[in-house]
Amino acid sequence: MLTDELQNAARDLGEALRASSSVQAYLKAEAGCEADPEASELEKRLLALHQELLGRQQRGEALQRSEIGAYNVLKDRVHYNPRIQERDAALSEVKQTFTAIADELSFPLGIKFASLAKAGNV
Amino acid sequence: MNLQTSITTSAEINTAANQAARELGELLLHTPEYEVFLKALNAVNNDLEVKNISAEIHTHQNTLRWSPTNSSELEAELTRLETELEGIQAVQEYRLAEEATCRLFAEVDSIISQETGVPFATNAKRSGCGCSG
Repeated sequence: MLTDELQNAARDLGEALRASSSVQAYLKAEAGCEADPEASELEKRLLALHQELLGRQQRGEALQRSEIGAYNVLKDRVHYNPRIQERDAALSEVKQTFTAIADELSFPLGIKFASLAKAGNV
Repeated sequence: MNLQTSITTSAEINTAANQAARELGELLLHTPEYEVFLKALNAVNNDLEVKNISAEIHTHQNTLRWSPTNSSELEAELTRLETELEGIQAVQEYRLAEEATCRLFAEVDSIISQETGVPFATNAKRSGCGCSG
C-alpha cells in the first residue's frame, strides 16, 4: 500500500514528464498515427499476420517462403510509413528523457528503479 | 505575469522532472520495503555459505561454457548447487524482500505512467548496443 506522500511524489513526476517537450511531441505523433487510417490499418495487419505466422510456426508448421516474403513487404511498408516513422522517432526521444530521469530517480537508491519496477509488473 | 515568467522552457521542465525524480527516489529509499531489501541484500553479500556456493556455481558455469564434455553431469551439479543456494535462509529472505520492493516500484511506476500517458519503466531502460529502440 502506497502512502499518500509516495503517491503524490509519483504523480508530481508524471506531471513533470507529461509537460516535457519529448512527451508532448510523442503524444501528438501517436494521436496523428492513430487518426491516420492507412497507418493504423498497416499496423493492425502486421500484428495480425505476425501472430498468425508465429502461431503456425509454434504448432510445427513450415511456413512458405512466399508467406515470409509477404510478411517482410508488409513490415517494410509499416517501417517506412511517414506517420509511423514520426511516432517512432518521437518515442526514441521519450526513451532518452525517461532513461535520464530514471537515472536521477535511481541515484539515491543505488539500484536501477526501472529494472525492479519492470520485474514487479510481471 | 510578464512574458518571461509565463514561458516554461524545456530546460525548466526537465529540471522539474529531475527534481521530482530525486524527491521520489529519496522517499522510496526510506520505505519499509526498501529498508528490508537493503538489509537482506547486505546479509546475502556477507553470508559465507552464499559466497562459497556462488563461487562454485560460477566455476561450474565457466566449465560448462568452455568445455561442454560431461555437460549432463555438470548441469546436474549446477542444479543441485542452485537448489542449495535457494534453500539458505538469507537467500530466501532476500528473494521475499526483492519481490516486495519490485511490487512497490511497479505500483509507483504505474502512477508515473498513468500521469505521463506513456509507460515509464518500460521506456526508461538503456539499450545494450547504444542504438535507439
